[in-house]
Amino acid sequence: MEKIIGIWIAAFLTLCIYSFLYRDNPFYRFAEYLFVGVSLGYSIVLQIHQGLIPFAWQPFSAAVTGGSLTGLIKLIPIAIGLLFFAGLSPQQTWLIRYPSAILIGVTSGVAIPNVLQAHIFEQTRGTIGPFAAIHAGTLSGWGVFEAILMVVGVVCTLTYFFFSIEHRGPVKWVSKVGIAFLMIGFGSAFGNTVMGRVALLIQRVDFLLNDWFGTIF
Amino acid sequence: MRRQVPLILCFVFGIVMIFTQFIPHSLSQSLHQEVRQWYLIIFPFALVFSSIALIRTHVMRIRRRTEHWRYSFLIFIGILMMVVIGVPFGPQHHVFEWLFNNVQVPMDATMFSLLAFFIASAAYRAFRARTLEASLLLVTALIVMLGNVPVGDLVWNTVFAWLPWENATSGMKQWILDNPNLSARRGIILGISLGVISQSIRIILGIERSYLGGGD
Repeated sequence: MEKIIGIWIAAFLTLCIYSFLYRDNPFYRFAEYLFVGVSLGYSIVLQIHQGLIPFAWQPFSAAVTGGSLTGLIKLIPIAIGLLFFAGLSPQQTWLIRYPSAILIGVTSGVAIPNVLQAHIFEQTRGTIGPFAAIHAGTLSGWGVFEAILMVVGVVCTLTYFFFSIEHRGPVKWVSKVGIAFLMIGFGSAFGNTVMGRVALLIQRVDFLLNDWFGTIF
Repeated sequence: MRRQVPLILCFVFGIVMIFTQFIPHSLSQSLHQEVRQWYLIIFPFALVFSSIALIRTHVMRIRRRTEHWRYSFLIFIGILMMVVIGVPFGPQHHVFEWLFNNVQVPMDATMFSLLAFFIASAAYRAFRARTLEASLLLVTALIVMLGNVPVGDLVWNTVFAWLPWENATSGMKQWILDNPNLSARRGIILGISLGVISQSIRIILGIERSYLGGGD
């Protein structure tokens, strides 16, 4: 019974959202606002259970009950986090800057080494790595062509985004080749996005035809 | 005090996170983990505060009786439904999971699938093969879309039998994704990464201060 009620609710909400294909209407708005509320509620629950409870509440309560004082250090981030609520008072809004500054500082500090390692070093290695195989003579003729194409594509794309010099003469032609590579990249992204969305559509129609109709007939 | 202390905090926490990542000493690693945990403790407060801001906005909408104000109650119902079950009993509770599977997941998937219709109509208007660049975009998108479905190979295998791949469109699609597409993506990723690093340095050094907002 619980499953059937779930299927009917899901089917009703699915049809509510698809009603937007006709035009904006109360059914769509009903689903839209409910979706915003439910998604926000879900995020709050996850953040509390995956952040606040394991990293703040549990060490703190263990410190209080067990007498270990190390958990009390968690009172500092809790107090800093509570400063967000100063934003509810117009006179004390500036206190939000303290927790915000910490969050932004940590994010920036974590980003620099991570981006360097995962994006710049790894992507550069992936681009020029096949040349080691060319040097060793283990790459076929087609593989050599692909390795050269990769370097040409990356250099031309980067040239297109390089605005420190005027795009004239050879630079203009290199950046034009970069645009061609970018268009292929955008075309691929578009094609994959469309197919992803169509797959979701097929899944929803399959749900309506098999799961929902299955409860009726 | 109102601007200097946050700038110092941002600098100290940013520098600590950079240096502790490169120092393999156990003390440095535990400091790194501790700060990461602080981040995970502080962040939910930001989310709860932003939720309160959203609730206040909708309370104002209800008070002022603005257009579609009645729907604002649905946002409260949605938040309450998830929080009342999820916070005390946890996300593993069967009622919370039931709500997630039968309310959130179907709406999420349907919202995204709705884009299939709009993306198709937008493509019809935008994809005119007037220039070489637009033609490249159009042809690539078509190959990738055809290469994603079995019917693409079924139709085009005989026409493109001379191509080196066993299955023409899916092989061509994979080659495009692995080579010209990947090189363009790498160019974009490298550009974005350099931007992220320079922006992060500006934030840590206090050159970029827009997050502090206006006022004193």
